[in-house]
This record gives sequence, C-alpha cells and structure tokens, in this order.
Amino acid sequence: MSRAEKLTDQILEKLKNSDVRVKREDILKRMRLLVEEFKVPESEAVKTIMNYLVKEYGVPREELFERESPLVKISEIVKPNQWISLKAKVVQLWDSNSPNVSQVGLIGDETGIIKFVIWAKAGMNEVEEGKSYLFKNVVTDSFQGRMQVNIGRTSKIVEISEEINLPPREMEIIGAIVSFQQNSGLIKRCNICKRVLSKGLCHEHGKVEGYDDLRVKAVLDDGLNSYEIILNEENIKELVGMSLEDAIRIAQENLDRNSVLSELKQRLLGRYFAVKGIRGGRYLLVRDISFHKPESKDFEELLEALV
Amino acid sequence: MIRKREVAKRVFSFEFSRSTHQIQGDGVVKYLLTPLGERLNRVFIVGVLLEKEEIGADTNFWRLRVSDPTGSFYATVGKFQPEALEIIGDLNVPELVAIVGKPRVFEGVSRKLISLRPENIAVVDLAVRDYWVLETARRTLERIEAMEKRENEDAKLAWQIYNPDLNEYIEVVKKALMSVKEDVEVMEKIEEPERAEEEEEFDFTGFEFEEEEFDLSDLLEE
Repeated sequence: MSRAEKLTDQILEKLKNSDVRVKREDILKRMRLLVEEFKVPESEAVKTIMNYLVKEYGVPREELFERESPLVKISEIVKPNQWISLKAKVVQLWDSNSPNVSQVGLIGDETGIIKFVIWAKAGMNEVEEGKSYLFKNVVTDSFQGRMQVNIGRTSKIVEISEEINLPPREMEIIGAIVSFQQNSGLIKRCNICKRVLSKGLCHEHGKVEGYDDLRVKAVLDDGLNSYEIILNEENIKELVGMSLEDAIRIAQENLDRNSVLSELKQRLLGRYFAVKGIRGGRYLLVRDISFHKPESKDFEELLEALV
Repeated sequence: MIRKREVAKRVFSFEFSRSTHQIQGDGVVKYLLTPLGERLNRVFIVGVLLEKEEIGADTNFWRLRVSDPTGSFYATVGKFQPEALEIIGDLNVPELVAIVGKPRVFEGVSRKLISLRPENIAVVDLAVRDYWVLETARRTLERIEAMEKRENEDAKLAWQIYNPDLNEYIEVVKKALMSVKEDVEVMEKIEEPERAEEEEEFDFTGFEFEEEEFDLSDLLEE
C-alpha cells in the first residue's frame, strides 16, 4: 500500500462513525496529487483534505480534528494551550458564580492537584466528588498565574473504576486566617445541583427551596504564602463545636442567618491554625485542622540562636 | 487579569513605624519598603488596642492606636473598610486584637506618618499574640540576615535609604521574645495541673432553680 493510500484510509477511519459517505477514490486522488505530484508534506496534505471534507461534505469539524491527546500526569502540566488527557479524581467541587461555567473545582492524581473548569456549553454530565474519571482532550490554561485545565465541547469525560491516589506528601502549614470569603457561614444549596443559592435562586434551576449547609471559605496566610481553604461542617464542628443544627438554631434565635457568620468570624478570624493537607496552586485541601499555639521551647531555641 | 493575592507580612511595630519609602510595583501595586528591606503591601499585626476614637461626632471614621511589645502605631477605619467597621463597635480598650491591613503613608510637613488601614480586625487571645511574636521574630531575624549579606536588591535599597543599626533591631527582637516567653511558661505551668483536674469538673448547666424552690418559710414555723 502506498503512503497516499495509507493516509486516505486514516482519514476514512475518522469518518467511520459519522453518517457522511465519501468516495475513497475521491480522497485518494487528491492525496496522490498533493503528496506524490506536488510533494506537499504529509501533515499539510491531510489537513488540506480534511478542510475540504468539512467544506464540501459538511463533516463536523470536531470529528475530523479530534486528536487523541497524550495522557499526562498533573505534575507535567506546566504550559498553557496544550491538548492533553488526564486520569484524575474529583477532590473538591466549588460553586460556580458564572452561568457559563457548569462545574469548577479541583482534580488530583498521585502527582498533584489542579483546578478544572467544565464550561456550560460543553454540555457534559456533571462529575461527582470522590469519583475518578478519564478527562479526554482537555486544554491547559493559565489563569491568575496558575495552571488549570478547561473542559470544553470537544472534551470527553468517562468515569473509570480504577482507584486514583492523591499525592502521598501532605504538607503542614501554620498560618492565620486573615480573611473570610463570600458564601461562608450558613448557606443554602440547590436541591438538584448543590450549587450555593444567591438570593434564593440557583443559577441553573432558578427558584428552588434549597437546603442548609455550613462551611467557611477563608484565606490562610503564613506570612510567606496565602492559601484558599474550605472548612466543611465537620471541620467547623471540630474547631468551634458548632454543628449544622446549632447554626440553624443560632440563625432562628437571632432571626438572622448572618449571625452564624459573625459568630464564626469571632472565633476563627485572626487565629493561628495548623493545617495538614495537599497543596494545589493557591488552594490547600484541608485534611486536618486545629488551633495552634507555641511552646516555651520554641522561644528558647530562637533566643539561644541569638546569643 | 487579577493579580495573585498579596501575602500578609509579619513585622513588629518598631520596624513598621520606621518605614517611609514607597516602591511602585507592577501596575498599580505600591509597596512600603521597611528599614530591613521587606516589601509591605499587606501586614498582619497582633497587639493591644490602646485607644479608640471617633474623629468628629457621628462620622463613623475611627482612629485606633495599637501596640505590640516593640511599640505602637495608628490605624484608621472608615467606610472603605466595611468588614473592619462592622466590628469596631464591639472593641474595648485595652483589648488584644489581630489586624490585617494595608499600610498608608501620610506626608506631614516635617515628617511622614505611617498608619494601617485594617481590612479585618479580630479580638484574639494570648496564644495568638504569643505565636505572632514568635513568628514575627523569626521573619525579622531572617531579614536581618539578608541585610547583613546584602542578599537582594531590596536589602541594598534599604541600606541606602535607612542605613539601619542592625544591633538595635536584634535587641528589639530579643526583648519581645523574652517578654512573651515568660507568659508562655506561666501558662504552661497553669495548664499542667488543670489537665489532671479535668475529670472532677462539674457541669452546672441545666441546674437553674427558681426562687420558689428555696422558700424556707415552713422551716421557720416549726
């Protein structure tokens, strides 16, 4: 089989799943002309013919140009605008503030964690926290100086059953909570998609009843770096002894849901914490958190070094 | 594009209040260069609130004076610091507070006055003050070392502008550490026996008696 024939068959292979019928001779004739007669480089010839098929036969562009992006590990993602595939576990879902974003959060594999964005126009099924997926044909991007992956129309998400472990190396940071972020305290989430409601409305599902949840989004700062952290109901209960039921009761007693936020600020803001977790960009995934205070031997060591 | 969040630097009041030189960073960011060559855009300071005063009646513009073990500084809170303003009514004098804020330089006729615009203020306990002093001492000593070695451009610039007496700074750090270390030791001693007694603690909540239950008039009659 000649090179031209091989390339022709490769193109036909891509069309196998579409309902468009194209004559093999037609493609082969063009291929021969370009490759053998005019000595056009093979990749250019293939591209030219695919463009021709899109124009003349109405073949969906994505189908022809969909590449099998290389399977990489998260630590290898260092450049924007690379098409890649990833096997990763969804470790944290955030609220998307934009109607253009379907889901946003963190995914991880054994080499690291990274932010991901699934665009609404991608029309993907939603992913679930704790489940692992093969993310095919996603594109890397740099946002606010950090890498992330974007999942768009030409991407595919396939749930996989294999267990994906997160990085074994946890770090411990001792820092102060210097700021609370929006949507902290006693919040309401959509019954259907779990998004945080704003003024009783869900971006996706409009007016819903919603259900209560307790959480804190905060900035932890150790004087060298700042990290965004999320404390869930369990973390909050452990730190300040406030459960979701307690929070609901506080809100009812004060006739104000914000009183929960004030109470949490009073007890957490400006305090030092020892946080164990995995770092991904500016996010720190909290595994364990406790109040921190120094011991007298810390002072002695430092003073001895001064003498 | 949104910039990366500025880290809240740890500086003692002694170093902070001696900073006068401003540096233009990338874009609109301004930094205050300290005499030990640290760039400040945001700071985290723990100290005692000494004074709280509303500037004029009902202006909701407040001036605070706060002191750590090395000295005091001023902070001003107005409507552009809504989160700090929210808590200002609850603050008492004197009281231990943690402040996150942005440094501001006021150019007076004869000298410059450095103050802080708090983004957040929180009433905190001694443990926070203790760790802050320890951490700030560590950072300050690191800066002193960088100054000695003239390690980076900011250190060189700080020499040029301030020509600081490094020994003076070392003494200040030492004093701050010593003063807090004693407290930490005392607290550790107090907490030891407390732990042993913990089991004997009695929970009185749920024992609310009404006055009537103590009506002893029938005893008197006998």
